[in-house]
Amino acid sequence: MGGLAIYPGLAGCDGDMTLNATDATTVLGEIQPGGETPGDIVRGAEEMAGARPSRKVLLGFVPISVLLVGFFLAPLMVMVLYSLWTMEGFNVVPHWTLVNYVRFFTAGMYTAILLKTAAISLLVTILALLFGYPFAYFLVRYVNKKWQILLLVLVIIPFWTSYLLRVYAWMGILGRKGVINQFLMVIGLVRQPLEFLLYNNFSVTLVFLYLYLPFAIITLYASLEKFDFNQINAAMDLGATPWRAFVEIMLPQTKQGVITAFLFIFIPMLGEYITPKLVGGTDGTMMANLIVNLFRGFQFPAGSAVALSIAVLITLILIVFRRYLRVEELY
Amino acid sequence: METLKRFQLTPFAFRLYGFLGYAFLYVPVLLLAFFSFNESAAGNLPFTGFTLKWYTALFRDYLVIDAFKNSLLVGAVTSLLATIIGTAAAFPLVRSSIRFKEFLRIVFILPIMIPGLLIGIALLVFFSSLLKLSLSLGTVVIGHVVMTTPFVVLVVAARLVDFNRTLEWAAADLGADPWTTFRYITFPLILPGILAGALFAFTLSLDEFVITLFTIGSQTTLPLYVFSQVKFGVTPKINALATILLFASVTTLMTGFYALARLGRPSGQPK
Repeated sequence: MGGLAIYPGLAGCDGDMTLNATDATTVLGEIQPGGETPGDIVRGAEEMAGARPSRKVLLGFVPISVLLVGFFLAPLMVMVLYSLWTMEGFNVVPHWTLVNYVRFFTAGMYTAILLKTAAISLLVTILALLFGYPFAYFLVRYVNKKWQILLLVLVIIPFWTSYLLRVYAWMGILGRKGVINQFLMVIGLVRQPLEFLLYNNFSVTLVFLYLYLPFAIITLYASLEKFDFNQINAAMDLGATPWRAFVEIMLPQTKQGVITAFLFIFIPMLGEYITPKLVGGTDGTMMANLIVNLFRGFQFPAGSAVALSIAVLITLILIVFRRYLRVEELY
Repeated sequence: METLKRFQLTPFAFRLYGFLGYAFLYVPVLLLAFFSFNESAAGNLPFTGFTLKWYTALFRDYLVIDAFKNSLLVGAVTSLLATIIGTAAAFPLVRSSIRFKEFLRIVFILPIMIPGLLIGIALLVFFSSLLKLSLSLGTVVIGHVVMTTPFVVLVVAARLVDFNRTLEWAAADLGADPWTTFRYITFPLILPGILAGALFAFTLSLDEFVITLFTIGSQTTLPLYVFSQVKFGVTPKINALATILLFASVTTLMTGFYALARLGRPSGQPK
């Protein structure tokens, strides 16, 4: 899913923007002590002229409103209706019912896949944080400032290459005739190719970790870069163990990065379709695969109900954590 | 003594860890490139000899050429539309003094955070059952524009936030009408943001799979072609295609970074 590609970009902008914002304040700071700037006067004039300029600029919202209402909200509303209607033969008929939702939350198969999806998403998110944190620490502490940006770009680059091809690359590594098996057989460690490397939950988790690790690194780097490491020395001078200094000083101050990474990994994971399809085999099925199967089988109402439940879940997470979505200091 | 030893070990351990991290990120991709030159039809180890035949086979495959053309077309149109719509929305989002900005922010982020799969399926149901539209590259573009416009909004808005408005007010003071001010002051200064947004939208569209899968008719795009080929395993032709695509995206990315860095910073202040 291309959706992923964004996050590094946004995070990349983040760093850039913080810089720019500081520049802008510096410039303003230089002007303002001199008294009223021409800008202040014009702003005053604008305010006196009434709300007109402000209202005119609102016209910019028209195209995006048409787009999002017409081709995002309306289709979702159709899905809401479908999820509340009944299937008769190959047609959806407007007989109101809640059975599609009830079935989703009571049928064992659905709940099992839902729980499994949540579990794998959580596992991958935690693994990405666990592996990403020391890596970001390495970048901030042990890499020369001059080289940091270059090395950070090197982390971002895989993000911008095709998602599909990055998953595919692992098929050639983990498969029956893959690199690992060939290698193990050549050195004589195994006689038969190992079967457990591909088409199961292990391969799904590993590939997801590969796909999402860069994002964890980038967000954690952004947080760690602002951290003042003298505090660690101070804590340890006062007798704290390295672990205690980490838990009580570094971790709380990099909380923002940890939560942002968590959100931007956990949420997209809930809708992952390609990876389980390509490297998951039969037991790797996740929510998105279930939804597609339902729609392919013309079970529109059931499929809509499952899809919307996921959408509602994601929207709720977004609203609860909206504070942490300020990837940039936007508005 | 104990402390000293530990002190010397830690930097080494982290550097090793960093090295292994980069290996993890890059080895899988580099292996693909390596195997694309392997003569063996298995597209994998062992390396039986150097060849370029998978590349020539690729260029002779009209399915690939066709898919490539479709992807470029969809990407270009998507990028153009998303950039115009997104830039238009970024202005009021940053500059107007409306109260429901927080709400709008979440609305704009929603198409990014809602899985592409849901957007694709919702559009499929919407187009085919409700509007009775036949699916085509046009419907694909609509899906892609929905997905990419929010990114353009975010990128351009970020640029606008840092914009030094005194420059516009100065132009107005000197008698420039709003259009002239926009044409000669605002637009050149936010251009890097707009270009970044356009590049963003183009790249996302080029790589988009799930929305395309559900909104396309009988045509195919590059990701759909790749998916149809790799569903059942490794093929050397896809290794060749992968190598070309990876090389192209890295080059584009590097050029983009370089160009944006050169285009300068907002507000026009010198670096």
